[in-house]
Amino acid sequence: MKMKLTTYICSLLFCCVAAPLLAQQNPTPAPAQTKSVLILNGIAHIGNGERIENSAIGFKDGKLTLVADARLIRLDMSAYDTIIYADSSHIYPGFIASNSTLGLLELDQVKPTNDEAETGTFKPSIRSAISYNTDSEIIPTVRSNGVLLGQITPRGGVISGTSSVMQFDAWNWEDALVKEDDGVHLNWPGVYHRHYDKGKIAIEKVKTYDQQLREIQLFFGEAKAYCHAGKQSQTDLRFAALCDVLSGNKTLYVHASDAKSMTEAINFKVEFNIPKMVIVGGYDAYLVSEQLVSHGISVMLERIHSLPRFNEDDVDLPYKLPKLLYDAGVKFCIQNEGDMERMGTRNLPFHAGTAVAYGLPYEEAVRALTLAPAQILGIDKDFGSLEVGKNARLFISKGDALDMRSNAVICAFIQGRQIDLSSKQTELYEKYKKKYDEQKK
Amino acid sequence: MIRKTLTAMLFIAIAGIFQAQPTYPYNGILPKSTTSVALIHGTIFIDDQTRIEDGTLILQDGKIISVGSKLPLPANAVVIDLQGKFVYPSFIELYSDYGITSTGGNTEKRNMHDAPSTGSSSDKGAFGWNPAIRSETNASTLFAPKEEQAKEFRNAGFGVVLTHRADGIARGTGALVCLNDNPNLAVIVPQSAAFYSFNKGSSSHTYPSSLMGSIALLRQTYYDADWYSKGGHKEERNLTLDAFSASKQLPSIFDAGDKWNVLRADKVGDEFGIQYVIKTSGNEYQRIHEIKTSNASLIVPLNFPDAYDVSDPYVTRLVSLEEMKHWELAPANCGMLAKEKINFAITSSGLQDKNAFLKNLRKAVKRGLTEQDALKALTTTPARLIRADKEIGRLQPGYWANFIITSKNIFEDDAIIHENWVQGKPYVIEQIKKKSIAGKYQLSWTDSKYDLTIVDEGGKNKANIRVIQTGKDKEGKDIQDTLNYSVSLTMMNEQMSMTFEAKDNQYKGMIRLAGDIEDDGKKWSGKGQLPDGRWIDWQSERTGEPEVRKSEPKTESTPQDNGEIIFPFTAYGSKTQPEQETVWIQNATIWTCDAAGKIENGQILISDGKIIAVGKTIDASKYTQVKIIDAKGKHVTPGIIDEHSHIALESVNEGAQASSAEVEESRVIDPEDINIYRQLSGGVTSAQLLHGSANPIGGQSAIIKLRWGKAADDMLMKGAPGFIKFALGENVKQSNWWNDGSRFPQSRMGVEQIYYDHFIRAREYGANKVAFTNTGKRGAMPTKPFRTDIEMEALYEILQKKRFVTCHSYVQSEINMLMHVADSMRFTLNTFTHILEGYKVADKMKAHGAGASSFSDWWAYKYEVKDAIPHNGALLWEQGITVAFNSDDAEMARRLNQEAAKAVKYGGVPEEEALKFVTINPARLLHIDKMTGSLAQGKDADLVIWSDHPLSIYARAEKTFVDGICYYDAVKDEEMRKAIEAERARLIQKMMLSKQSGDPTQTPMFRDKKHFHCDTMDQTSMGISFK
Repeated sequence: MKMKLTTYICSLLFCCVAAPLLAQQNPTPAPAQTKSVLILNGIAHIGNGERIENSAIGFKDGKLTLVADARLIRLDMSAYDTIIYADSSHIYPGFIASNSTLGLLELDQVKPTNDEAETGTFKPSIRSAISYNTDSEIIPTVRSNGVLLGQITPRGGVISGTSSVMQFDAWNWEDALVKEDDGVHLNWPGVYHRHYDKGKIAIEKVKTYDQQLREIQLFFGEAKAYCHAGKQSQTDLRFAALCDVLSGNKTLYVHASDAKSMTEAINFKVEFNIPKMVIVGGYDAYLVSEQLVSHGISVMLERIHSLPRFNEDDVDLPYKLPKLLYDAGVKFCIQNEGDMERMGTRNLPFHAGTAVAYGLPYEEAVRALTLAPAQILGIDKDFGSLEVGKNARLFISKGDALDMRSNAVICAFIQGRQIDLSSKQTELYEKYKKKYDEQKK
Repeated sequence: MIRKTLTAMLFIAIAGIFQAQPTYPYNGILPKSTTSVALIHGTIFIDDQTRIEDGTLILQDGKIISVGSKLPLPANAVVIDLQGKFVYPSFIELYSDYGITSTGGNTEKRNMHDAPSTGSSSDKGAFGWNPAIRSETNASTLFAPKEEQAKEFRNAGFGVVLTHRADGIARGTGALVCLNDNPNLAVIVPQSAAFYSFNKGSSSHTYPSSLMGSIALLRQTYYDADWYSKGGHKEERNLTLDAFSASKQLPSIFDAGDKWNVLRADKVGDEFGIQYVIKTSGNEYQRIHEIKTSNASLIVPLNFPDAYDVSDPYVTRLVSLEEMKHWELAPANCGMLAKEKINFAITSSGLQDKNAFLKNLRKAVKRGLTEQDALKALTTTPARLIRADKEIGRLQPGYWANFIITSKNIFEDDAIIHENWVQGKPYVIEQIKKKSIAGKYQLSWTDSKYDLTIVDEGGKNKANIRVIQTGKDKEGKDIQDTLNYSVSLTMMNEQMSMTFEAKDNQYKGMIRLAGDIEDDGKKWSGKGQLPDGRWIDWQSERTGEPEVRKSEPKTESTPQDNGEIIFPFTAYGSKTQPEQETVWIQNATIWTCDAAGKIENGQILISDGKIIAVGKTIDASKYTQVKIIDAKGKHVTPGIIDEHSHIALESVNEGAQASSAEVEESRVIDPEDINIYRQLSGGVTSAQLLHGSANPIGGQSAIIKLRWGKAADDMLMKGAPGFIKFALGENVKQSNWWNDGSRFPQSRMGVEQIYYDHFIRAREYGANKVAFTNTGKRGAMPTKPFRTDIEMEALYEILQKKRFVTCHSYVQSEINMLMHVADSMRFTLNTFTHILEGYKVADKMKAHGAGASSFSDWWAYKYEVKDAIPHNGALLWEQGITVAFNSDDAEMARRLNQEAAKAVKYGGVPEEEALKFVTINPARLLHIDKMTGSLAQGKDADLVIWSDHPLSIYARAEKTFVDGICYYDAVKDEEMRKAIEAERARLIQKMMLSKQSGDPTQTPMFRDKKHFHCDTMDQTSMGISFK
């Protein structure tokens, strides 16, 4: 009989694996997986829309070797070094924070800690990966809620640069790389322009929009010519960084939110024959869903926990956007760009939870944080779902991880390595708890 | 229109005309007043009530001598026949800056960041310290007639304007001037009214930087003036206060604008026993009940918005429902005001083009304003409001001869103003033609003949030539062709000129003719030049009368076509406001947050806004009209209380000075903020609207209930004590400003000194006040008058434990510092808000007695929150401190129940205790826990029905009750969404029709409030905001 409590097993494992606590230091990255692990009897959320109520999940050497219904298969328990009984706990593929600036900016108002945007307008060759700070004190607080991977994205300008996909347990950025330079980010110039006017926000049509569009067209036109010409005596780093976008080896992420901008971006995709385009933002995506579907464009949907844009909008419109996109057949994932962005990454699961509260089927909400972003980022061969052969990147939560009421991550694995879930914050908590406990004595 | 018979209204001429005795030398032969003018046979409006047919108006020396029907004419009279014409008293404009020259003062606007933070003394002389108070301004000394502006006014029908320098909060006095060119005659009352506003104008001082700062400054000025006139002038000489006090005797005109500002201004007036005449923005109909209750007389503009160009459905989303509805209803504003018997004058201010004035006036008349009320609002009412009703506004003996002569009833679309007489001097606008030349003519010369038609269109002649030309087509058949030439016709008395472009077989090119009218208009003749330059002699014979072209009356919408007024006037407002119900909720899981704990399968009964009973079973037999809600599977909790909110506010920070204790958020509540409704949909029922964190001593907060649809003052929670915001750390020392700040303090060390300094001053102020009061009680007169200082009053209230402090705080050092300050001043810090390092000093907070209102999990947004932890709430709670979680964010406020859940997740607070973090605990911190915050008998019926466990992300508020009124109902919400869509669709159709009919349109533009956080400033254009 399974007598041991999940928490017990996990915290036991935790104790074995975790390095001794070093005050005010980030946890040590876990060593490579040497022992095989079997997780039994948990509710597995596969990431592809399926769910196994009583699952058996095994992994070895960082790869998933078994994902099955525990009631339907014969298990050779002896083949595993460690067995975790995850009775009625939930198992998820590691959540993915797409369009994230985690590791690029530590303390919003402290300028020296800010590396999220380079100066300039068109700068596709700017690479976020090299700036990603594995020692950010925010990262451990994000992992401990189940977010284990991120697309680290530069901001600013018209073309802000090239993002990379990083995992959240690493010694340095090279270590953290999952997919280097996955795509280039284009901030579509607003057809509307937001400004402050007598204490009010005003939005009006941008008078210089045509000019801005022309500059983008010219830049891509030149890049196309440059890439088409092949080897040249001189190298233009800016254009060279776009060749893979034009050839379809990299994705063009177009940050756009309103219907007009998205329609313009779709026209741009056709005009420049851009194979892979993803919309980042997409408040109005439900209004142009047919066009998005017919052009094969996915959406990295903007923050669910946000206010409706117009007073007349349904008060819950942002909450139900995932449901609207799901119904319209638009491929999408959920991201978290905005105010309190990096520290708020730990609340990413709850954005998906809200989507469920407002109509999105539960496993689709899980997909929007796992397989969907993996597919959009082009890393779904190894990531994004609990399927045999894929990277063993998963976590166990005592309860439903999309609900803050029950989200309690007790074990998390990246490449099969069990990571340390402590952080500077848990250390401070322990430190002061101890202080008050001693006062009581 | 009341038609009184003229015989009853004979006015007797004033006996004896005194000659003018000018002080100024005259350049030439001095004209004398030897003749009078008699206007006869016209229809004369003596005032808005009285109309005389075949009237006679006699004037001399710029004044009216007599008026009546068929009066005997004096021998010295120049007689003018106005047969068929109408005569009205000319209009009076109360709001303008006509002819005011700029004083050339420092009008350069500086922004918050480079202007001097505070001014302690004036740099211009013995005036007040703040240049926004410029009562010493006397418009009559700055006035000089400006013909170009005067002409615009006269063309719109005005004869007298009250002009002032529209700059500052107290703007000094305005002068009543006639629209003629001699300043010595024009100025009829040099100091006719005092002017005020909320706008600091050209002042470069940073204070005030917000609406609430403007209000506070004005209030303080009234107190100062009172002190000054009672003897303060013996302590200091302050010319501004001298002037301020003197002008209190005059009518006070307040340029307020928006409907809520009208009420705000009126409230200031009430405090000092002054009834302002208030200039509005034209949206008063949206809140007509409150406006009427204020008893204020109004000055109302006719600046109706153009329709929006809604041809693009995406772009149309930028236009809000209220803008669409206002477009439709604005022209009905005056009519509605009149129907409610609200006293108002009409102003032409706010119109880009004064030519639109009469057009809009007629529009208002078509939309429900009676002609009589319109006339009243332009003549007798403004005259009375400035106490000039014995001089202007009527055509009666002794009044100024200010009147207009029109072609017909001025409210008819095509009526024109022929002449505007100002102080007896006529200004011609559109010449009075002796006889209409409209008709059919045959125009001819040598070998040419043309059919000419002249039509009178609203007093203007439109001429047209028709030529029927015969010819042969390609196949040689006879064909007829009709050509029409439009003729440009210019008349000057009996002379005329005509030009037209000929395109016939005979002539191609411009033909230009000039000549005279002869034979009583039957014949014209003269000379002209053909396109080739040849001279001709031409004549034109009248052949017939013009066809009477009845212009189709433009169909104006009837009230039935128009949408309803909704409360609030924005999306999700309703025609009728929801009412209190008796509701019996059954079968629910009830989280009482009170002694009864959590009741499974419980019941709750509410009636008359109160909780009657809550329990497992209750007796509701006394109540017959009960609405039963079966809440099986659902949860009921107390309404959520947000201890730290900045929604529903017009301004958040008055940060120019280190202390702004005098400003009050309660005066700047915006009850139409959509976030009120959005938060009701998240179960929020009460909130503390806090001043920001720009300065160590912030402003006084407002505790409201979210009564969506009610007016600002009705949102305020009765019985809630006064609170004030303090702040510590980076914001108050301006650490994150992009350039270096200069205002003291710039370090945490300075912050401590600010507190000691202010509290010691407040203590001394209090002692002083007590001494004065006691002197009075003993019957002795104090030797000096006491000067009320509203900043010190607020701080003194803290020391007297009548006002409580909520202090924005982050790091432990300064938290401890402030507790030391409070201990030594013998008061208790009520609440530390944010308090992200509270967990480090929980024991000290407990000892002092402070509560905590924190974020659940925010951190790392600035240096001082690098040590913030999500377990903060749990650690503080474990130490026995009253802990609340707040929002400081309009979005997160609608999910505060979920934020409470994080106290369970991080630190393991029991669920029922965690829910208290957003219900009874904030109520305790706000001292409103006797009224709300938990579900117990006798408390306010503020509660939420949730679809699921209230700490779960899956819980949706289904119904939110405030005072037993269901302000949010998920089912009704669905209906309202459809209603909004339908109303927009209707208005969009209407706007499209308006556009098609050729009316001007404006480009859609989205306008929304800023979403405020702690350090959002009113007058900067920063998009960023931090906590």
